[in-house]
Amino acid sequence: MSSAWHDDPIVREHYIRAYLNRRLTDEEAERFEAHYLVCDECYEEMQATEWLIRGLGEPVLERKRINDVTVLRFVEETQLLAASLELSELANAVRMQKDTKVLIDLSKVSRIDSTGLGVLMNCYCHAVKNSGALKLLNPDAPVKQVLSVTRVDAVLQSFDDESAAIASFQSLPS
Amino acid sequence: MRHRRAPRSVNVFVLSETIEYLEKIRPKLRFKVGYEVGFLCPDIDDIVQETMARFLIASQDGKIRNPEAAGAFLHGICRNVISEYRRRSQRDEPMPEIVPEPPSRTLSDTERFAYREAIAKGMEQLPDRDRKILRAFYLEEKTKEEILRQSGLTDQNFRVILCRAKERFRQIYLEQTQHRAVSGH
Repeated sequence: MSSAWHDDPIVREHYIRAYLNRRLTDEEAERFEAHYLVCDECYEEMQATEWLIRGLGEPVLERKRINDVTVLRFVEETQLLAASLELSELANAVRMQKDTKVLIDLSKVSRIDSTGLGVLMNCYCHAVKNSGALKLLNPDAPVKQVLSVTRVDAVLQSFDDESAAIASFQSLPS
Repeated sequence: MRHRRAPRSVNVFVLSETIEYLEKIRPKLRFKVGYEVGFLCPDIDDIVQETMARFLIASQDGKIRNPEAAGAFLHGICRNVISEYRRRSQRDEPMPEIVPEPPSRTLSDTERFAYREAIAKGMEQLPDRDRKILRAFYLEEKTKEEILRQSGLTDQNFRVILCRAKERFRQIYLEQTQHRAVSGH
């Protein structure tokens, strides 16, 4: 096993990831532990990975509550495209909500495609099915254009002002 | 990711060398024990100390026949100490009287702040795309093939992203470890 580690850093990272995420069998974990106790290089790599994972664990989406509305906002500039890894984060964040009054702040979303729209619509359906609503805040011009061309804006209401958006949820039962 | 030292065996028959070896290995042992019993367990250092003491005695008694396998031997001792600790914890009645909280052996607020700062600084240096790829690999546990398919990267791009990020965080880890050693924590 030891030579496989040192020959290929990607193989080692797979092993380290599995160890830190507790995916190794007891036997594999023990073999790895016995190895890193004597191997400075593998131990340092594991510690570096642990730190990296901690950093990556910072959320992609910020979540705040205003009255009974959950506002979701992307932390970094992003694109909601088929290949975007943020899509699953967004879908999970909305599905995980117990309450279903959700406002998605799109100010950091520079592009959206049909897959992104599909995820937004899925999130909307989830909210509506649970007697809630999902609305959008601050979509950028290119995103607004896509929403308009596809007529999604007839279903998903957009706002440029946060307080107006929050106020619009008040007609819904709490 | 550079390749540096190969695993080195220790001359377990020389006391000073064994002690030096054990001191060098202490943080690793601490991590291994924390991994097993939980990093907030207040008894981590006791388990580590007991493991090291048993290893030292075994080495002086000539029980380590193959110095090349000292790591595996130490690991075996550590496993036994942890098992004993677990059995004892399950068997013992809760303490009848309220005992004062032991001094915290975890990171102080200042250290934790410094760690967070260092990690945040490391994250800032990573381009958005790299972060997304690394999140997919480490947090979502996607396979390399899945990531390449989704992101359109080549195998070589993926390796570069991974190795570049790892090198940065390895430096951060080493800097923080040195800083901690200098400040005496």
